Amino acid sequence: MEALVQRFPGARLGVNAVTALVIWGLLTWVNQVIEPLMSYYLATAAMYATAMFGMTILLGLSGQVSLGNGALMAVGGYIFALTSMNWQTVPILGTPWNAVWSMVFAGFGGVVFGAAIGGIAARLRGPYLAGLTLGIAVGVPAIANRFPELLGGENGLMLQVPYPAGGYTSGDTSDEAVDDGGEVPLDEEPVYEELPDDFGDFDEEFTDEFGDELDSDPGDLSDEDLLTEDDLLSEDDFLSDDDFLTDEDFTTEDGFEADIDSDAGADLDAGLDGGSEASEGADITDPAADLDLAGVDAGVDAGFAIEQWQASMAIAVACVVGFIALNLVRGRQGRVWQAVRDDPIAAAVSGISPAGSKISAFVVSSLFAALAGAVFAQILTYVGPGAFTLGLSLSLLVGIVLGGRNSFIGAIIGAVILVWLPEFVLDVSADRGWQDQITNNAPNFIYGLLVVLVVLAAPGGIVGGIQSLAGRLRGQAKSSSSP
Amino acid sequence: MIDFIDYLLGGISSGAIIALMALALVLVWRSTRVVNFAQLGQAMFTTYIALTVRELTGSWFLGLIIAMAAGLVVGVIVHFLVIRPVKRLDTSGAIIATFGVLIALEALAAMVWGGDPEAFPPPINNSGYEAFGRIWPFSPYDLLVLASVVFLVLALSVVFTRTNVGLAMRASAFNPEVARLSGVRVNRMLALGWAIAGLVGAVAGVLVAPLSTLSPTSFDIFLVFAFTAAVIGGLDSLVGAVAFGIGTGLVIALVSGYSDSSNAPLVALVLLVLNLLFKPEGVFSHHKARAV
Amino acid sequence: MLRIDALSVNYGAVEALKNVSLDVPPGRVTAVIGANGAGKSTLMRTLAGLEKPLAGRGLFNDEDITGSKPEDIVRMGIALVPEGRSTIPDLTVEENLKLGGMWRTHAQRATSLTRVYALFPVLGERRHLRADTLSGGERQQLAIGRALMTGPQALLLDEPSLGLAPLIVTQILELVEHMARDSGLAVLLVEQNAATALRVAKTGIVLNLGEIVKSGPAREIAQDEELRHAYLGY
Repeated sequence: MEALVQRFPGARLGVNAVTALVIWGLLTWVNQVIEPLMSYYLATAAMYATAMFGMTILLGLSGQVSLGNGALMAVGGYIFALTSMNWQTVPILGTPWNAVWSMVFAGFGGVVFGAAIGGIAARLRGPYLAGLTLGIAVGVPAIANRFPELLGGENGLMLQVPYPAGGYTSGDTSDEAVDDGGEVPLDEEPVYEELPDDFGDFDEEFTDEFGDELDSDPGDLSDEDLLTEDDLLSEDDFLSDDDFLTDEDFTTEDGFEADIDSDAGADLDAGLDGGSEASEGADITDPAADLDLAGVDAGVDAGFAIEQWQASMAIAVACVVGFIALNLVRGRQGRVWQAVRDDPIAAAVSGISPAGSKISAFVVSSLFAALAGAVFAQILTYVGPGAFTLGLSLSLLVGIVLGGRNSFIGAIIGAVILVWLPEFVLDVSADRGWQDQITNNAPNFIYGLLVVLVVLAAPGGIVGGIQSLAGRLRGQAKSSSSP
Repeated sequence: MIDFIDYLLGGISSGAIIALMALALVLVWRSTRVVNFAQLGQAMFTTYIALTVRELTGSWFLGLIIAMAAGLVVGVIVHFLVIRPVKRLDTSGAIIATFGVLIALEALAAMVWGGDPEAFPPPINNSGYEAFGRIWPFSPYDLLVLASVVFLVLALSVVFTRTNVGLAMRASAFNPEVARLSGVRVNRMLALGWAIAGLVGAVAGVLVAPLSTLSPTSFDIFLVFAFTAAVIGGLDSLVGAVAFGIGTGLVIALVSGYSDSSNAPLVALVLLVLNLLFKPEGVFSHHKARAV
Repeated sequence: MLRIDALSVNYGAVEALKNVSLDVPPGRVTAVIGANGAGKSTLMRTLAGLEKPLAGRGLFNDEDITGSKPEDIVRMGIALVPEGRSTIPDLTVEENLKLGGMWRTHAQRATSLTRVYALFPVLGERRHLRADTLSGGERQQLAIGRALMTGPQALLLDEPSLGLAPLIVTQILELVEHMARDSGLAVLLVEQNAATALRVAKTGIVLNLGEIVKSGPAREIAQDEELRHAYLGY
């Protein structure tokens, strides 16, 4: 593979593009066949993954512990909300506004903030950086209170989400959701059949690039990936529609933002209602898509559900971000980040600026975080201090540490864990009859313990653990075969 | 002008408490070169214990004493179970681990005591003294807080400067190898640092709870304040932690008074950034090894 | 008193000491000399418990000290003055001294402190100043004083001459030699500066690449031209 890439300079780009496209295709297909609630989880997981790709680069590759990414998501979310609410045309260009422009501006805002924070962060090490970004995670959402007129204060802002035909004039990702409906076209099946191999390649490439000593066996790792997919799918079994409202209230965050007043919760619900109305108004081909909350479970039959639109939007963003991330990490920039992390002095001697490298890692992760924040805003149809708490930043840290801070697969696994574990706990608690107080906080308790355990026992997270396990097994196999 | 005096008076007790919290962070940093981001999570937890003891026995003082004991124990447990094993691996691992402890403690507190904010009434009158025909924003409770903090800081400084244990702890912090070669059991001294930090944090938690409310996350903001104060003070200076803890409290009180209390975290952030940009080694520190 | 029996130590992947045996008798100075990287510091650090040996033993009054922790070894009566004037700059002179031998009784420590101040009067004069205000020679005296505060029977001195003016080195080493003779202290002195070390030592041991190449009376070694050229470089 490496030889091929060297002979054809564009090959790497192509491989990454194919990887991203295959994953996009697969997830888009998955999004068509699952229930709307599952689509909602898919959307949330894709949003987390988008943000955590940035954490992989910042924490894993560049070695900086940052808690500021939740705040940078707030930057993206608020910019998305403000631009989509207030601007009808693109400044200077004068073309009609649409959501893609809001995403672009959100990303731009992330870059600006990331450069500012990175400029300070590059001068700091370990605990100072963690403490500074902790301050950012706590302080930045409070800016909303500083400008209640513009940013809506504690109550935040409701936003109109550009559902299909409402805002996306060019009809990109969302068309999938509208046109394909719930039926799986037969011609998409080959994509699924090809999946395990492609996933295997992806993994192999990935571990190679990260300089891990072991050549991952595609079989092993793709099994693992399928497992995660299985996990995702198996959630079908235990989720009832009754869970729906609690989920919208963000069970994941409950432990951290116990101080959010019930108003915020009500606002979230109101936001969803507003969103439903907006989609009702939209020009949807199937009239059965009458989307009040009770009717959501009919979404698959109706051919379009808000959750499916949310998921297809989140997946598209995640895949674009993943593609950018792959190109950066597998290229020269990835080696620069790693070199500075491993030995800043040696890197400086060989002509790499450690400060520049750290700033660029910050900028890239801020871009991703801001885009994730914009996605989050569209999923919630709301932005507010209550949505971007310290808890959100901590969740990102938990996800990336558990999944594995050294790979994008780790980020994806981490994202799935963040979405899956609260549901799993909910399921267990329903069986055992736990009190809400226990059920709502058990996931965070488990996260906290797992983070400590992972740092102690498997600093590479799940991905690192599997790799070293596979390496050990292969080592045993080798030593037993060669006397 | 009278506003200014009012705001300052109102900020004294919270400043004193922030000083204690910063002191706890500094004690841990000096002993193991780790910033314990779980410090105020531990304090939150022991404050809930104090609340429970108080509800059961009706005694605020007994609650305080038991919280202090719990603070010692939790500090030692976190040190031996988490920090000592992690510290050998890497520094970013230690930072992440302390956040793991914070997350777990906050969730555990919410599981045991519920996530809703609880009132922690002051043990004595918390309405301002009356003098010269007006009410001043300084209450008997503020006086109690101030007296407790002064007593604790003086006690600690006596322990650190006048006793063998204090000398051994300082030596273990500055140069563990020389301390070991002198016969000091350094690991015990490090654990003792965590224990004392836990105790100091526990006192700070019990004292601050009546000034705000008690919830699993209500101390998060104090973590930012305390970190700011500790870093500006130089992170290994006990004097710096106390001085800038009080200073941070006063600045926050002034800003909150003249504008709005929701600006407090931003003020802390600005102070922190200014310090890191212009005096990164801290005001009271002799060391200059903060950047790469 | 202090005996080293077939000691081997690895430092990283390097074999720092190979099968080294030697005796450190009381009442005199035993000097280990050799070029940089001969394994001298590793020998000292292993004896003090800072490095773990691969094989072999250290015996102190016929008691096996191999594998003991540094804080236990110093309590048995072996005090190391590590390379590089190991004082704690943030503490005062007296605090640096009081750090040594905290487990001893109040009376024992008071006696030791008086003795150290008698040996090194300059430390008494500056007892309340921070250690970083001292000159290099004074700090070396402080480091030795701290070791003496632990009431040792054996004193391990690692490169005391490093970075000091020759006159000061001679003064300090002669003081150590007197001390050994007067109080029956066993002194193991490790030095790159062979000429000075052999002047105060009774026995000399030449270490090269982790192995003893020669041992004998210090005077003989000092006069062995061949040895000097081959291993000591002067």
